[in-house]
Parts: sequence; structure tokens; C-alpha cells
Amino acid sequence: MKNGKLLIAPSMLWLGFFFVIPMLIVVAVSFAARTPYGQVVFEWNLNNYIRFLEPLYLSIFAQTLLVALVTTVVTILMGYPLAYYIAQLPKRWQQPGLILCMIPFWINFLIRSYAWVIILRAQGVLNTFFMKMGFIDQPLQLLYNEGAVMLGMIYSLLPFMILPIYVSIEQLDRRLLEAASDLGAPPFTAFRKITLPLTMPGVAAGTILVFISSLGMFVVPDVMGGAKSALVGNLIQNQFLSARDWPFGSALSIVLAALSLLLIILYYRAIQAQNGGAENAKNLA
Amino acid sequence: MKRIFALLFCSLLLVLTACGGPEKKPAEPQKKPEKAEAQQTLNLFSWADNFDPEVLADFEKKFNCKINYDVFANNEELLAKIQAGGARYDVIQPSDYMVTTMLKLNLLEEMDMSKIPNAKNLIQDLQAPAYDPTGKHSVVYTWGITGIAYNKKFVKTPPTSWNDLWNPAYKGRVVLLNDVREVISFAMKKNGYPLNSVKEDHLAKCMKDLRALSPNILAYDTDTIKQKFIAEEAWIGTMWSGDAYFSFKENKNIGFIVPKEGTGIWADCFAIPKGAKNKKLAEEFINYLYDPKVSAKNYEYIGYNDPNIKAAPYHSDEYKNDPILKTARDYIGNSEWTEDVGDAIALYDRCWTELKTGK
Repeated sequence: MKNGKLLIAPSMLWLGFFFVIPMLIVVAVSFAARTPYGQVVFEWNLNNYIRFLEPLYLSIFAQTLLVALVTTVVTILMGYPLAYYIAQLPKRWQQPGLILCMIPFWINFLIRSYAWVIILRAQGVLNTFFMKMGFIDQPLQLLYNEGAVMLGMIYSLLPFMILPIYVSIEQLDRRLLEAASDLGAPPFTAFRKITLPLTMPGVAAGTILVFISSLGMFVVPDVMGGAKSALVGNLIQNQFLSARDWPFGSALSIVLAALSLLLIILYYRAIQAQNGGAENAKNLA
Repeated sequence: MKRIFALLFCSLLLVLTACGGPEKKPAEPQKKPEKAEAQQTLNLFSWADNFDPEVLADFEKKFNCKINYDVFANNEELLAKIQAGGARYDVIQPSDYMVTTMLKLNLLEEMDMSKIPNAKNLIQDLQAPAYDPTGKHSVVYTWGITGIAYNKKFVKTPPTSWNDLWNPAYKGRVVLLNDVREVISFAMKKNGYPLNSVKEDHLAKCMKDLRALSPNILAYDTDTIKQKFIAEEAWIGTMWSGDAYFSFKENKNIGFIVPKEGTGIWADCFAIPKGAKNKKLAEEFINYLYDPKVSAKNYEYIGYNDPNIKAAPYHSDEYKNDPILKTARDYIGNSEWTEDVGDAIALYDRCWTELKTGK
């Protein structure tokens, strides 16, 4: 046991220095005030949190939540079948399938966003192709709108959904499905009653990864959305880089983090309730 | 984002020059045995790609010193580093409004102008500017103005006024700089208000105008605005003269004008932070860069307008006749400095957030 503690000491120190302490600083700054020249002064107050409650900022949070929700739902709808398909493949094809999903990570995210710009812009790959084929005579406006932001979000976060779902499907005990089939359950019923509930932990993990990541996203709205709309990520970035209001930026970050934590807790509760059901199904089978 | 690439590229360059360095260096101490004192180091903190590397190398040779060139990506980063005081620099390059901020925070050393005689060669309009009224704490290095860039293929009559951006014919084709001060500045100018106005009724009128402009807007962009013009996604929009210069080189359809209502001017300056270890060498360095021959070489490389009047004879005809650099030079008197708006930055930020949320 002593050796175990020694082994985890480096990672604990790492977390302590680079996660816990900075986090505490952010919390402290969020209750501070600022001078006109952006210096943080520690005159404790709640103004930054009160300011967050203004309709202007609440509406940005609502918009961000909506975008995150749509992103998550679409990535589940796209990711689940794909993960299922890969898990069904013969063993030797599964690894290449997963690697194909992960290849995009080999390239920096910012560069991939610009790649989308090159594909979608007025003189881009797609518009040039359509024009040459004679489908259209004016370039389509594919970039700098909400659709482009959604596309960018879904594109960049899809792998985070596929991987955990794949793991849970891969670990599924196939004998349960055989039993269901023997007992007369049609394939869809077996999927709905057994596969789906038992792979919910994978979906939950994916949902949390995708949802939380999309809450903080600010590169996609800037690059693919033409910086025309503001999500919370952009709002926070502005407080630090142009408005020189670190306390308000910190307060927004804390609210975002608290909100994420709350959603994770609620989500896990819901999944646990579901899992209870799945356990019952397993016991019954 | 452009600066991230520039930074990567720079560090690569540094590595390369570091590799190339040792071949030359061993010869030097023998050449100058009279300089017994240890080689000095000039710690320079600036934007990426802001100097001709040959000019820096020449200075190192001439003054038997080593230049340590660190880069920052924006003024706030510069401010944070200088305030933290951890890294001591001898020469820094804040922008106009940041000079004011640093002055207010007492972070800048007063320069001994008798040690920088070449600073007198600067264009009159750039001496003792509004953000540094005594002119003793900063010297303009690069400067430019904000104007309207347009593509002659799509915009048949050259624009003359900020009002032209509101033309319904440019629906979804206007690009604006993604910067709150830039956007509100031109709205102020359009209405004939002072560029740095913080009056609520002025701001309200600007916001009304800017909301009406939103159907025309393709995107807000600062880092890749050049690409949007070069690839002809954008037809018309606000642009810095320096970016317009580069865009014009890539796409000859691009024109650049200064609206008749006037515009904003900006500058990145030389300054010496409080507590600089090597103030004397810093002043030598600043003076060296305004030497007419040196500045001609340096500005041709970096592609900005040379503020040095005496450098004109040493510049190439191509540089002197460049239409975009010329436009910027001609309108320098017609422009106002962007000043720090102090507490009103909160008002500006609120307007910006409202604009982005369509409220």
C-alpha cells in the first residue's frame, strides 16, 4: 500500500500544482474587483455573479446550452450506429476502424477548422466542384452561419462519442443476446431491452465528454461561424483579452464549471436508475 | 492565430540561426580584443516577425552584443509579463493605447532623447502623439491606419465614405475587424463623433447603426481577414493598411481607401520598461533602427510604412510608389489615435456582446 502511495505521488503533486491551485485562484479572482486598467483588486464582492444574471448573459448561456445539446444529440445519433458497426466487424478490422476515427486527432484542431474553411468557402473545394458540374451558377454560402458552427462542433466532437460507445458495445456479453433470441425476442426488441441499456454507460461517458467540450468551445464559432455569434467560450475569452475584466471572466468560468458539474451529477443519477433496470433485465435473462 | 504560426516559424528560425551562429562567432572576439568587458545582452520583447533578421544581426555585430528576441501575441500578454516583473526586458513594443496604460501604471522608463537623435527623423504627426503627450516614453516604430478595402470586381464605384458599407448591394459580403474598438471607432467616425467618444448617446447611435449593418456582414475577422479578401469571399470591409498592402500583393483587384469622414491610426512603439538592466544599449538599439539606411532596409522587409523621413532616398521605387502605402501616408493627418477609454471599456464590451448576440 505504501508503494502505491509513492506511485501516485507525482500525479497528485501534478494535479495539486496545475489543477487545484489555479482553480482556487480563479475562484478567488471571481469574487474580486478590477481597476480601470485591468488590475485585479481583492475587494471581496458578488458583483460579478450578479452581473451574470443579466438577461444579456443568461441568453448567451441558453444559446450555448442549446448548441451543446444539439451537438450531443446529433453525435449520439451518428456515433452509436458507427460504434455498433465497428464493434460488429471481425476482430482484425476493428482496430483499423477505430484508428480511422482517431486519425483526425493527429492534426491540430485549429488547422482542421481552417481546412473546413478551404472546403466550404465561396471559392472552396465544394463550391468549385458544384459550379464545374453545373449544379449551381452562384457559389452557395456554406460558411459563417449557424449551420457551419454546428457542422464544426459535430465534426470535431464525434470521435469522443464513438470511442466510449464502442468500448461498451465491445464488452457486451453476446450470450445475453443469444438467450434473448432463444426466448423469442425479435432482434429489435433484444437491442432495445438488452444492448441499449447495457451500453448506456458508454453513451453516458460520450455524452459528458461531448457536452462539456462543446460548452467551452470558442474556436469553431470564431473560425467557421465568422465570429458573428457569441457563445460562453467567446464571452470568457473577451473578458480576458479585450475587456480586461478578469474577475468577470473568472466568475463566468466558475458558473460554467459549476453548471457542467451539476449536469454530470444529474446525468449519472439518471443513468444509474436506468442501469438498475438493466441489471434487472440481466437477472431475468 | 496567424501569430501562432508566425511564432512557430520564428522559433524554427531561431533554431536555424542558432545552428548557423557558431561558425561566425569564434572569429569575433579576436577581432575586437579592445572590448574587454563581457558581451552585453539586449532583451527585446516584441511581436513576431517585427524586424529584418539581418538588421538585428548587423546591430549585434556593430555593438558586440547579443539580442534575445522574445515574442508576445497581444498587448494584454505584454502587460501581464511586465507587471509580473519576472522577466526583465530592455526594449518592449506596446501599441499606442497600451503605452498610456503602462504610463498610468508607472511601468515605463523615461528615455534620454539626446541618446536617440535619429528619433527626430520621424514624421511630424507621429511625434508626441495623443497617447504619450510628452513623447518621452515611446517612439513610433510601425504605424498604420484603418480604411476600407474592396474588391474592384464586385464593387464598381470605389467607396468614399463609411456609409458605403451599409449599401444593401453588399448583403452578406462585408467583413469587419473582429475588435470592439475598431468596429465602434468607424461607427463613431461615420456619425462625425470623436473616435474615442464614451458618451452614452454616441454609443447608442453607433449601436443602432451597427445593428442595421448586420445583414451585410459576412464575418468578423482579424487574423485571417487577408485570406477572406484574397479568396474573394469578402467584397468590402474594414482593414488595416498593413494587411491591405499584403492582400494587394496577392490579389491586384483589391483597392484601399480612407473614408472622407476620417479614420483611426495606430502605432506599435518602442519603449523601455522600468528597471531595464541595459537602458543605454536599449537607447542605442532604438537609435540604430531609425538610422536612414537601416530603417529603409528594415521597413522594406517588414512591409510597413517607414515613419522615417530621411530614409526616403534609400527606398526602392516599388516601395515608394505602392498605392496602399501611399494612401496611408497621405491620410495620416486625417486620422485620430485610438486612446485608452479607461473605465468605459466596460460599456464598449457590453455593446460588443450585444452586437454579437443580436440584442
